[in-house]
Amino acid sequence: MLMRTRHRFSVALLVVLLTWTGSACRDRDAAAATAVVAAQAPAEPTVPLPNRDGSFKFGVLGDFGTGDPPQYELADQMVKLHQRFKYDHIVLVGDNLYGSERPQDFVNKFERPYKPLLDAGVKFYASLGNHDAREQRYYKLFNMDGKLYYTFSPKANIRFFVLESTYPVPEQIQWVESELKASSSDWKIAYFHHPLYSSGDRHGSDLRLREVLEPLFVKYNVTVVLTGHDHFYERVKIEKNIAYFVVGSGGQLRKGNIDRGSGITARGFDTDLAFMAAEIAGDEMYFNVISRVGQTVDSGVVKRRRPTS
Amino acid sequence: MCATRCGLVSLVAAGALTLSACTRNSTPPPPPATSASPASAPATERVVGPLSQEDARALATMNDRLREYVDLHLKLEGILPKLPKEATPQQIDGNQRAFEKLMRENRANAKPGDLFTPEAQPVIKRLLATVFGGPDGKQLKASIMDENPVDPVQLKLTVNGRYPDTVPLTSVPPQVLQTLPKLSEDLEYRFIGDWLILLDAHAHTIADYIDNALPK
Repeated sequence: MLMRTRHRFSVALLVVLLTWTGSACRDRDAAAATAVVAAQAPAEPTVPLPNRDGSFKFGVLGDFGTGDPPQYELADQMVKLHQRFKYDHIVLVGDNLYGSERPQDFVNKFERPYKPLLDAGVKFYASLGNHDAREQRYYKLFNMDGKLYYTFSPKANIRFFVLESTYPVPEQIQWVESELKASSSDWKIAYFHHPLYSSGDRHGSDLRLREVLEPLFVKYNVTVVLTGHDHFYERVKIEKNIAYFVVGSGGQLRKGNIDRGSGITARGFDTDLAFMAAEIAGDEMYFNVISRVGQTVDSGVVKRRRPTS
Repeated sequence: MCATRCGLVSLVAAGALTLSACTRNSTPPPPPATSASPASAPATERVVGPLSQEDARALATMNDRLREYVDLHLKLEGILPKLPKEATPQQIDGNQRAFEKLMRENRANAKPGDLFTPEAQPVIKRLLATVFGGPDGKQLKASIMDENPVDPVQLKLTVNGRYPDTVPLTSVPPQVLQTLPKLSEDLEYRFIGDWLILLDAHAHTIADYIDNALPK
């Protein structure tokens, strides 16, 4: 009874934290999604993150590989932020290269825009989207070690589970279950391309994938799920104690594509490109979503889930 | 009472931390990346079934052909230099196109129905009809047709032809993969329009197809 009460209290606290801190940062940055437009003058990104020594700092980027100027402009913001907030990992939620994938495309759609970050030693860990050839798994700078799905631990007590969601063979589902079960990390974060929850008019929630993956995420204590596919940013209201994000806003915007009537959106931004900066410090993951013009369009804190038993 | 007090303290502390826009720089030590191999993944299970003896026999004809295809695929892969796990774009592109060429040369006479045998095709269509005829069939089909509103006839798809660069790979729901006969890692089921494609993921070519595979 006491456990259940505590559990309910933790959930409520998590929801309150996300809502309250998100609103607070929004108020401070005056960056309401509907108010931010591409025509704004570039600005220095704000950093409402603790930026603590020893914390784990990372970026999240999705649906970016167009090679077009907007992708480069968002990349510039990522570089600017890196000067003040030294993240050393970027997780890619898929659609890393649109269109052809000749050697020059790897340069124009990835290596060139993110060169300053690559030169600074930032490592990109890719998942594959539906526009990505399977051979990308061998690409050195995507750090996939030749695997379509894999797991890595960038720091003690933090583990990422990287899935291939366009072709979720039963072996992969069984693999992720065994990996989640075996992991004793405090922080379990899954990322892949297709969103289990999304208010996208174009794609929306992948219900079939949700049916298979969500029970595993719930059972094995995943705290955060990062996805893309829909070309905007969305933070979904907490679902089954899990924080779901759609960060498909890295290069090819679908303006106005968030269905405001979906009822699942905690925060949406579909008027410009954006990426996420995040920091895990102890039991909290702070996040900050920054647009192509350097506006902070969402911020908040996710408290890690604790095993229920 | 204590929980409430502790919660309030946490709330205030977390909020204060979030709002304090600290700009201290920090350089964390380079974190070691590790990865676990999916090679030990257990075998798949079928959700539709069991198959009748007749259907199993029909699918066995396809499995025999698939085995021959995979043998050829592996043999030809062995001819090429192995792609390193940390390859350059030039290595990836060169390897893929060389392999595509080799496969095409060695399957010069390949035609539709070589892998999806005439015996297996009606069974595959029936299995798909079973999956898509269920209560979630409409949603299932919608998830496949998402970003897939193409006309395969107009694309002039051919066996041994390159998978069109302009067509994104369709999502194949787990429920469909659990139903169709298991493939080796080198081959994948995909849909282009309502055609079921057997994609050689390394060669990036269409190994075979079934037209009008999805129920209307």
